[in-house]
Amino acid sequence: MIVQLVFSGLALGSMYALVALGYNITYATSRTVNFAQGQSVMVGAVVAYALYVGAGWPFVPSVLATLLALAALGVLVERVAVRPFLTSASIAWLLATIALGVIAENVAMLTFGKDARAFPSSLAQRAVTVLGAGVYPHELLVPVVGVALMVLVELAFRRTLAGRALRAVAFDHDAARLMGIDVTRTISAAYALSSVLAGVAGILLAPLLNVSATMGTTLGLKGFAVAIIGGIESARGIVLAGVLYGIVEAIVAGYLGTGVREILGFALVVLVLLARPWGLFGVAAPRRV
Amino acid sequence: MRRVTWLGLVLLTLCLLGTQATVGFTQAKPPITVALVAAMSGGSALSGEAIKRGLSVAIDEINARGGLLSGRTLELVVRDEEGNPSKGVTGARDVIEREKAVAVFGGLHSPVGLAMLPVFHELKVPYVGTWAAATAITRNGRSPNFMFRVSANDDIVDHFLAKHVIEKLGKRKPGVILENTPWGASNQEGLTKWFGRLGAPPVGFEKFNWGDPDMSPQLLRLRQGGADAIVMIANAPEGAQVVKSRAKIGWDVSTVSHWGISGGRFPELTGALSESVVFVQTYSFFGKQSDVGERVIAALKARFAVKGPEDILAPVGTANAYDAMHLVALAIEQAGAADGSKVRDALENLGEHRGLIKTYRRPFTPEEHDALTENDYILVTWRQGKIVPVTMK
Repeated sequence: MIVQLVFSGLALGSMYALVALGYNITYATSRTVNFAQGQSVMVGAVVAYALYVGAGWPFVPSVLATLLALAALGVLVERVAVRPFLTSASIAWLLATIALGVIAENVAMLTFGKDARAFPSSLAQRAVTVLGAGVYPHELLVPVVGVALMVLVELAFRRTLAGRALRAVAFDHDAARLMGIDVTRTISAAYALSSVLAGVAGILLAPLLNVSATMGTTLGLKGFAVAIIGGIESARGIVLAGVLYGIVEAIVAGYLGTGVREILGFALVVLVLLARPWGLFGVAAPRRV
Repeated sequence: MRRVTWLGLVLLTLCLLGTQATVGFTQAKPPITVALVAAMSGGSALSGEAIKRGLSVAIDEINARGGLLSGRTLELVVRDEEGNPSKGVTGARDVIEREKAVAVFGGLHSPVGLAMLPVFHELKVPYVGTWAAATAITRNGRSPNFMFRVSANDDIVDHFLAKHVIEKLGKRKPGVILENTPWGASNQEGLTKWFGRLGAPPVGFEKFNWGDPDMSPQLLRLRQGGADAIVMIANAPEGAQVVKSRAKIGWDVSTVSHWGISGGRFPELTGALSESVVFVQTYSFFGKQSDVGERVIAALKARFAVKGPEDILAPVGTANAYDAMHLVALAIEQAGAADGSKVRDALENLGEHRGLIKTYRRPFTPEEHDALTENDYILVTWRQGKIVPVTMK
């Protein structure tokens, strides 16, 4: 039973981590996040569904077009819901991104339709047995892609010029600007990237969760909890925290009952916030004087 | 879907033009408004559409006969409650206070029905449930009681399911998986009671929330507890996840379900697994039909691009709503006025009516506000995406 629960938790936790990675990228560069990240995941799944199942495109072009659309969405979110509020040091961006998420959900209901639809995947048809536990092969794909994306993001941040620019902006907007970095464009790029990650998550999760206008809501919330627990500035921390959170959730649900699951899960968030406000794997920011 | 919507729009326009014309001729015969407050969007949207179809077919028949109260046509207004109780309350108020509805039909979600209950008593307009099955919707201790139902009642369904599991399947250790909502609670009560009386109390009750992606922890607990059959209380999206998780953990166990799963695209979401679930319905458009059945199918074909019974999605919604609308029409006629309170009184004293599901003989009394009984339920399953009756053994 424990193996089965760990596998369930692993798949679930990597879903959270995948969503949470998107929070990491924008927070690191602009101290803001797209609170509608869950809805961006939904948009990814819906667009992919519309192209792949609806319009009957081949898989690869569908995915590429979806990711392109999501990048555009990220730029749009940043432009209308974040940039206007960045200078005023207000948290209006928080409400603005949530509002965009609600709009996205309702647009999806109107255009995509109201029912949950199935996204075909040959890897989610038949469960296989691993170590005595049943698992859909597609579920194993989620943590693999999650870790791969984390490594990619970290490498890109450290090794490429654009990534260095992102980090410089993260460190100090004014200094970065003095070095000739276009801060505004960099933040815009961060939002595009974060949105693309949401798109990947959407396509990856669609066969497991089914495609529906409301599929992203819980994911977005749990993803944010995971980002907080892991430390929103640490991609590695987020992936680790996501997987741990998923496994803890599954084990608690399996041994203590589902009623206790959310109570313990979110109590954990509060505890982490109290004990280590920068997250389990984050680094306390030195206070700038 | 798209084409259906367009056809619908065209028809709607034609109908509107039609009504306009009649109003012009007959002068000042205001239409009588009835309302539907149901989930028209979300995971169970098909249920709302099905109910609307049943009501529309009945309304067309009534209007073609010349309407009610010597020549007033019936008109339907629809509000989407999105499965959200507070939106249901707003919608119910809106259709009664602004649209002057004399009766309000309800949709699939029991929490919404329960939340709207005080509104109907305050504004004195009858509610007629066409899907939501929570026991407390009709058995609510109010007098006079404004809540009626032409649909299943959880308490009766629970008895029906319990009897099937114990007597037909011969299982002794039922496990229950249900949604964490008032509808789930309503069934927890009923199943506890009926399995208890049959001498086989459930080995466990496991809950899930709407939108939960993985139900294996709950199922593992039931299996661990020794369950030899599972009873599922879920709507289509979550029901699909339950069945997929069950297949994942490799648990081959008889699965019996309440009918929430028939309100969405369960077969599309679960594929062949859908055929492993047996569930309850009040009506099936498959098999030999009465003349009423033939008439309804013909009307659905003419109006909604339905080709045959296999295209009648969420069929109980259509069947229940069709009969409910005719019963309400009889009550309006008997009350002699488009007045909520009088219609309510009349509903409790209707005579005989040959409906689609059965011939009703005084369907409602002051004590019994459920028109359908256990004898009206049938067991069905999915075969290649269609709902078909399970042959009785």
